[in-house]
Amino acid sequence: MFDVILAMVEVSVLFAQSGLEALTPLQAITENGMAALAVGLAALGAGYAERGIGSAAIGAIAEDESLFGTGLIMTVLPETLVILALVVVFLVG
Amino acid sequence: MSVKETEGTSNYEYVTARVKARRAKLFDEEDYRKLLRMGPGEISRYMEETEYETEINALGARYSGVDLIEYALNRNLAKHFEDLLQWADGRLYTLIARYLRKFDAWNVKTVIRGLYSGADSETIAEDFIYAGEFDRRFLDRLAEAGSIEEAVELLEGTRYGDSLTEAFADYEETGVLIPMENAVDRTYYEGLIGGVSDTDNRANQLYADFLRAEIDFRNVRNVLRIARSGADIDPDEYFIEGGDLFGASELQQLSGSLDELVTYIRDSTYGDDLADALDRLEDADSLIEFEHALDAALMEYSDRLSHVFPISICPVLSYILAKEREVENIRAVARGREAGLSQDEIETELVML
Repeated sequence: MFDVILAMVEVSVLFAQSGLEALTPLQAITENGMAALAVGLAALGAGYAERGIGSAAIGAIAEDESLFGTGLIMTVLPETLVILALVVVFLVG
Repeated sequence: MSVKETEGTSNYEYVTARVKARRAKLFDEEDYRKLLRMGPGEISRYMEETEYETEINALGARYSGVDLIEYALNRNLAKHFEDLLQWADGRLYTLIARYLRKFDAWNVKTVIRGLYSGADSETIAEDFIYAGEFDRRFLDRLAEAGSIEEAVELLEGTRYGDSLTEAFADYEETGVLIPMENAVDRTYYEGLIGGVSDTDNRANQLYADFLRAEIDFRNVRNVLRIARSGADIDPDEYFIEGGDLFGASELQQLSGSLDELVTYIRDSTYGDDLADALDRLEDADSLIEFEHALDAALMEYSDRLSHVFPISICPVLSYILAKEREVENIRAVARGREAGLSQDEIETELVML
């Protein structure tokens, strides 16, 4: 873990020396990049949550088709995570 | 036929969702109350309007009365349990299959008994419950075996192979089926517990506990029957390893006296759960009620587990037990009505929660 951080610091120092103005010495990634990463991680979390809910919903729908609506809504609920994460993009960008 | 090598992770969410939906569709007290007032013909008509519609319709032309109900129940049970095995992946599959091998044992015993009594292959196949791990083709081949020896040979590659081959020698000497049936049962119960306890997951540990309880109860039941019948049977022969409650030597001691046995169970870990049942056993002296109380205790325990661990094997187990119980209950009602028992008498045969 520590090595990685050190490596990142070194790289960022190199960046700084080579005259990439946008990056401060301890920064290997831009603010926008960070925001994009946050959205990506949130989407990953949402996807993982949907995996379980989705398979349970499909199971329930297979038994009783009237549950389609409920199942669909439950399945996409974790999608709110991504929407909230998108807020970060607007705050930063 | 043999254990399917499963890959991938367990799909608990999918299976438990489906199982819970099916659990909700089982007959409740209200249904039983209605059934209790019906004759066999009416019961099959009533079943036609429920879960059992397909089976009743499919078998309606061939059978009638209680036979129709019985075959429809077996077929429906097989359908549902086969579904379970089809849905489940990975570790969940092995956990479910472990329990459902009960039906393999049942089928193997059906074959052996059928061949012993000289029934033709069709009659044997009628009594199969296709719910275990053996697939249809293999079972049909078994039913077509010409003699018990052939059947044993066919079973050689399966888990029952070794013990059956051994028991077959006994059978040839004595000419009675008991050693072979015991061998099958024993293999089933030994396979039930083996390898499940070394898991770290709390829910799986509880599942192992549950299986152990099942073995203990089976032992208790056997000892009680031996003690009650007063027959000179060595309880050792019927002892199943793997339970917590007793070892073989304790069982031997206790089988002599009912009172001692009751006190022993009362002091064991099951004492609280079975307090009611034990009281009733002492008061009414009724073995049937006690056995039903054991069943009810197991069912209640599995139900509680399924609430505590919703995403685990537990809801599936509780469904399996409830479904089995339902089938037994309906059968008891139908048979009871046919034999002309009174409502009260039939009611004592039912196990409801």
